[in-house]
Amino acid sequence: MSDRVHDLVALQDLELMIRDAQDPASKEKEEALGFAVHGLEELQKARETVVKKIPPRDLRLYERIRGKYQRVVVPVRSRICLGCFQALPTMATRAVSENGPLPTCENCGRILYWL
Amino acid sequence: MQVDPGLWWGADMDAESFLSYFDDKRFIPDLRSRTKESVLGELSRALADDDEIRNPAVLLEMIRRRESLGSTGLGKGVAIPHGRSTAAADTRVVFGVSRRGVDYAAPDGEPCRLFFLIVAPYEDPRHEYLPLLGKIVELVNEKPLREKLLAGQTFAEFQATIREAMGERPGA
Repeated sequence: MSDRVHDLVALQDLELMIRDAQDPASKEKEEALGFAVHGLEELQKARETVVKKIPPRDLRLYERIRGKYQRVVVPVRSRICLGCFQALPTMATRAVSENGPLPTCENCGRILYWL
Repeated sequence: MQVDPGLWWGADMDAESFLSYFDDKRFIPDLRSRTKESVLGELSRALADDDEIRNPAVLLEMIRRRESLGSTGLGKGVAIPHGRSTAAADTRVVFGVSRRGVDYAAPDGEPCRLFFLIVAPYEDPRHEYLPLLGKIVELVNEKPLREKLLAGQTFAEFQATIREAMGERPGA
């Protein structure tokens, strides 16, 4: 996985964790099981750090897709986009060049992450 | 570690369903790590053999960040680091035992010896994650089970201990 896609996965995972920590029902469930949920500020700082690493062009694409879908980066398994469950064309590739476009699903437009 | 007796998560999970999240390749009977940071790395590396997980480093990053939200050490020598990630296509558990114990910042200050690392997909369409987490918490609340898990050396022993605790016997 390229560093560019890696950073977007990290950002998405962090945003999910922050959302869960801010959601009273999720927080209550974790705490009822005995887990501490109190370091939200640390997660916010980690998110800011990750955001600074992401090229502005990639971040703009991420934000644009997030306007449409909650899940922006999706895994690919057996050449299937796990966002829309459509098969990817055989020419779809996991390779990401330093300055080239990020791999996206032709059908739903989400950023692809090959498992 | 106190478990709300009213918890319903995982209440109807049978032993075979529960054990389907575990695997011999993700069973570590003698963890070498001596610190919290290194034990998370050792547990995460056990995910590398999984066909569904190509990059355990991404999952380790997520697990470390979850720890910054609050320790997943439950007390009584048990830790359950856990989280959901884009990098996990399916829910998986790594089980490990530390003979020496690891300082894991657990609420009771006791070193942790039993580790269950859970990774789950970003989306959880089958609603597996919380029931699984709840079932592990419920099981490890029992001292006899913790002692058997500590004494076990093989994955077969681990499976037998779980089946017995969940009221099922092999071949029953």
